[in-house]
Amino acid sequence: MQPETKTEEFIIPIGPQHPALKEPGHFEFGVDGETITSASVRLGYVHRGIEKGAEGRNWAQNLYLVERVCGICSHTHATVYALTVEKLAGIEAPPRAQAIRELVLELERVHSHLLWLGVVGHEGGFDTLFMYSWRDREIVMDLLEALTGNRVNYSTNVLGGVKHDVSPAQADAIRKGIDTLEERTHHYLNVVMVDSSFIGRTKGVGYMTKEQANALGAVGPTARASGVARDLRINAPYAAYPQYPVEMITDTGGDVFARTVVRVKELFECYRVIRQILDTLPAGDLTVKFPRKVKEGEALVRVEAPRGELMYYIKSAGGENPERVKIRTPTLANWGTVLTTVVGHKLADVPMILGGIDPCFSCNDRMITVQPATGAERHWTWEQLRRYGIAQYAGDR
Amino acid sequence: MSNESALETANALLAPFAQGTARPDPLRLDAMLAADQLLPAVKALMDNKWGYLVAISGVDLGLATGQLEVLYHFGGADNGITTSLRVRIPRDNASVPSVCGLVPSASLYERELSEMLGITVVDTPNPTHLFLPDGWPDGLYPLRKDAAVPVATTLNS
Repeated sequence: MQPETKTEEFIIPIGPQHPALKEPGHFEFGVDGETITSASVRLGYVHRGIEKGAEGRNWAQNLYLVERVCGICSHTHATVYALTVEKLAGIEAPPRAQAIRELVLELERVHSHLLWLGVVGHEGGFDTLFMYSWRDREIVMDLLEALTGNRVNYSTNVLGGVKHDVSPAQADAIRKGIDTLEERTHHYLNVVMVDSSFIGRTKGVGYMTKEQANALGAVGPTARASGVARDLRINAPYAAYPQYPVEMITDTGGDVFARTVVRVKELFECYRVIRQILDTLPAGDLTVKFPRKVKEGEALVRVEAPRGELMYYIKSAGGENPERVKIRTPTLANWGTVLTTVVGHKLADVPMILGGIDPCFSCNDRMITVQPATGAERHWTWEQLRRYGIAQYAGDR
Repeated sequence: MSNESALETANALLAPFAQGTARPDPLRLDAMLAADQLLPAVKALMDNKWGYLVAISGVDLGLATGQLEVLYHFGGADNGITTSLRVRIPRDNASVPSVCGLVPSASLYERELSEMLGITVVDTPNPTHLFLPDGWPDGLYPLRKDAAVPVATTLNS
């Protein structure tokens, strides 16, 4: 006679602190023993009200606001915003400005992919890879700082062009840095292809077929690693990509291993196109004059951020402020792939699968103001927030 | 598929359901739809594997118009075309049908649309908050033009 068993799903909450990267998101995984049977997500822990905030600021102020959507691909956000607003105004930035935009976009992709390589090494228990790749990432961070004055929010764009030129000395420094990074990247590709513990943590983990990737709306390297040939730099070239095209990198593996290989191989394309831009940078102006008011209408631009497709839809009523700014970031599009592919895996694989899409929580969280759980006062001034922070910190000690 | 043939295919697929179509720029096609034609139009795109759902944008057209607009942006499968299905609905009792039965990945976008603009998405599989915090007041939809959400004052004062 069989003993009577009661089946009830056991839920393991993960987050909001540090579910994979050092950013907040809350997940609930239903488990049967060690095996995951269901998954759900709750976001918004770093939501800042950027879409709403944009409606109350003028066109130029918003360039600085959207650059702060993401701390990793800040230049991508500023560029797609500038391209969209320029399209609305019927203005095109000069060729030299477009080439410099692409140059910084690709330098940013290099730093983003190297950062991710370190994270996936760390989550996989391979901290040596993490330390070396982040050490080498400092090369490209220094190049970006030398070029723009900043490590994070480069603030290269203005509406109608760019504000940073590239001098011959800077071009030489970038070439030299890129040479070193290319050599190191060959080494990393070799490491991830042959290291048995890395392969053990990534092969077959988070597997997704091409059909699934399409059905789940996957974007970027996550989609390309499942054989979906989709890259907006190639499908709908923007900025200087018509003049300086890149090759599509795809893989058919569909797992975290394939996502690693795709990102590492994309680095070589970055290095190649960066050299090409430096060698044939068009001469001419950096900016054209941009009006204070933008004529009524709407524009939509989709670009390829390091994590995948990024969309801006902007509507103007003819004034100094936008009527609506809609942003769809790549991480939001990729959550569906995590929630689906994680089912059937061991709980210990969760960080690798979460990390596999290169999630960026700040990107998908954009919208709302802080609310204390206590008291009736919902809307804080900056001064109140500051005092709360000081009191909280004093209380912790 | 080339951009031009992708545009023609989308136009032919959507024409039976649309009140009108437009070409706002060389890479875009807009189809204006009544709310009850949304699902057949999405089905036509999906059945023909025309592309994938990129995003759902909600726009408040303002108190004067009394309308909201919902745009379903689809990207071509292997090209640079964006097709937007545009549905206008009244601000009061705003509702659209869920497209999740045809596009499973729409769930997160529908949760965002619903909580930010106060649009009921009928039959969406998970109608809970995605971004807004627990305990967020009922009936306060931050992306509505008349919503008193003091983000700007919080940041500027």
